[in-house]
Amino acid sequence: MIAIWSVASITFKEGIKNRVIFGIFIIALLLFAATTVVTTLFMRDIVKVAVDLSLSTVSFSGLLTLLFVGVNLFGKDLDKRTIYMVISRPISRSEYLIGKFFGLVMLSLTVVVFLGILSALPVIISKNFYYYSEARFNWLIFFLAVVYIFVKLAVVSSVITLFASLTSNSFIALVLSLVTYIIGQSTESVRLLLASQVEKIEVSPVVSYMVDAAYYIFPNFSAFDLKTQAAHGLSISPSYILWTGLYAVFYITVAVAIGTLAFRRREFP
Amino acid sequence: MRSLVISILLISFAVIGNVFALNAVSLEREKLRKEEGISLVMPSAVARIAALEFKGIFADIIFSRAMTYYGGKLIRKEEMTGEEWDWIYKNMALATDLDNYFLDPYYFGAMNLSWGANKVKEANALLEKAVKYRDWDWTIPFYLGFNHFYFLQDNEKASFYLMESAKREISGSLIATLAARLAYQGRRTENAVIFLEEILKKTDDNTIRNSYEMRLNTLKGIFFLEKAVAVYQDRFKKQTEGLDELVAKGIITAIPKDPYGGKFYIDKDGSIKTTSEMR
Amino acid sequence: MAIISFDSIIKDYKTGFRKKKTALKDFSLGIHEGEVFGFLGPNGAGKSTAIKILLNLIFPTHGRAEILGKGVGDKGIRRFIGYLPENPYFYDYLNPLELLKFAGKTSGVDSMKIQERTEELLNTVGLWNERKRAIRNYSKGMVQRTGLALALIHDPKIVILDEPMTGLDPIGRRHVIDMILKLKSEGKTIFFSSHILQDIERVCDRIGILVNGVLVRVIDIKSEPLGKPLEDIFIEETEKAGRAKE
Repeated sequence: MIAIWSVASITFKEGIKNRVIFGIFIIALLLFAATTVVTTLFMRDIVKVAVDLSLSTVSFSGLLTLLFVGVNLFGKDLDKRTIYMVISRPISRSEYLIGKFFGLVMLSLTVVVFLGILSALPVIISKNFYYYSEARFNWLIFFLAVVYIFVKLAVVSSVITLFASLTSNSFIALVLSLVTYIIGQSTESVRLLLASQVEKIEVSPVVSYMVDAAYYIFPNFSAFDLKTQAAHGLSISPSYILWTGLYAVFYITVAVAIGTLAFRRREFP
Repeated sequence: MRSLVISILLISFAVIGNVFALNAVSLEREKLRKEEGISLVMPSAVARIAALEFKGIFADIIFSRAMTYYGGKLIRKEEMTGEEWDWIYKNMALATDLDNYFLDPYYFGAMNLSWGANKVKEANALLEKAVKYRDWDWTIPFYLGFNHFYFLQDNEKASFYLMESAKREISGSLIATLAARLAYQGRRTENAVIFLEEILKKTDDNTIRNSYEMRLNTLKGIFFLEKAVAVYQDRFKKQTEGLDELVAKGIITAIPKDPYGGKFYIDKDGSIKTTSEMR
Repeated sequence: MAIISFDSIIKDYKTGFRKKKTALKDFSLGIHEGEVFGFLGPNGAGKSTAIKILLNLIFPTHGRAEILGKGVGDKGIRRFIGYLPENPYFYDYLNPLELLKFAGKTSGVDSMKIQERTEELLNTVGLWNERKRAIRNYSKGMVQRTGLALALIHDPKIVILDEPMTGLDPIGRRHVIDMILKLKSEGKTIFFSSHILQDIERVCDRIGILVNGVLVRVIDIKSEPLGKPLEDIFIEETEKAGRAKE
């Protein structure tokens, strides 16, 4: 436990001091400022637009952090052999990988907490500017959506951990993680498309099996996207929270466990 | 020292050149845009996949792009063609496919397609989708009821939607009464006046209020003339020849003005219309 | 009883599809407690490979390596080993204090002891005044010295140094020599590789010469005087091995 915790905290420290994080924060702040201006261009659903933009900013910043700082934290260890100073200690390869994963999770948590709180500002401003009486908004659901952004980033962290353990090159790990993110965001929509338009277009069974396979292999990121619900104050059932939460935990477990299996026999010449 | 001066001169020259060139570019872009006209609208299924987790923002962008186009036409005082209205409709449908609950495109599409473009079918298609998703919002079935009543003269459907609206409305209003009144035929103009007054009560946006007030005043004018025609027929037991007849016979002192700038007249079927067609 | 033992180790590296290079050929060696063992050999002889096998960074293709009577795969033994990699590279946004805290914690040292050792070690390697600067602003020599402090934070029984003198100026080299002698006086076992002959001759009890993955000779300096300069012996052995290969 001490080993995992130490690796996680040193990973986090190294990540948070990276200058790229600072740049991402600046971009996020600019986007928040832009949000308050952009919302004035709309007629009634102003709060919805503010929620769309500010939550997307949080999600996007978290994603940038993981892809550009998180992947690099693995990359430096493996490319420049910083890993020597870690696994020459009483730390197993599995503990290293799990610790690294938790370091990325801590990094995501910091970004989401910091920007999640700030993201409320443009919403408050636009709410005071104009609030249409038939609009629905609820802070509880808004912050639930913020929590789900974190859950999504934790799953992305597990995917990065998996690819970093499988590949020898951090650029390949970055590309694979990005591709997984894109596929994971769209499998649900593609499946719905195939299900709804069966009569219009002829879908070969092979394609639909492949889509189904992709749906189960890649993380279904749509499940963690509650931005629409937050924008319109739509209620979310406890069972939704339970099952999506369990799904995230299971997915992360599988990804990190496969990662440790691959990493256990990895050499660092 | 000399190289510094040359550098500064070069930079200042380039900056000035840059500003000039950019101004020319904006003009060229303007021309290009005019030639381009309206662009293709992405199919919803594709857009939903391409938007990844940013569907909300995509909806915002598509909506505001269409609104900007429409606004530009208004400013240049150009007429929208049927093709352009179709484009507006497709954009609103796409925006609401990306975010099923997004009020603005429903509202913008429904209001402008029915009043402005005479595309009531499309307007109602949008509103029907909105009724399904925004299941707490009383205004949607209210507008839908109005369209059925006023444009399609389908009082049964109108009454149905108004009842739905009354169910959703929390504070007491005239909606339920209005729904009941629609059961009676032949009070089209009067009911429309009540409808619009109800809408005005709930509207706080000034531009929208103005457009509704204009419609309301026109309808009030028509209603006023309809009553006068009824009095004329009652008194002289014959059809009126024209609106001037009403003034000549002293039933009314003057023909009200159409805020849209048109002229009121009696149509062949005996109903009062205006040359502006409220546009 | 050897504290470090290599038992008939063969290590193959894959260099391409179905192509391989053998870095260590039937390599056997035992190092005793309390001795300073110098590992000598031309570049690419397999010195680093042998050291990395001890740290479990790479795995032998055949054979077995043990430390303190346990296989090197047992992570528990690494608590007793201090390791300085060749050309070390550390998390460069962190400062030595943070790195030493990490190293101490993971090697099972308590916080009080870590503070004590940190101050002592950073003073010894001459980085105490620079302790709050991030490693990324350090010179190569300073990084090397940080690595030395990291290797020693947990007061290890066995110290393994891979080319500890590279990149150091004469003063830095002198520091390392002094440190090795001090560790030796404390009864530590030291296993280090180098190609700087004078340094090896000065501090070592025994010297092993490795050429092309084969341990060609082990000299016990204390019991058998060299008779001629180490340099000559080294060149002789290297050439002999080169001829044998042909």
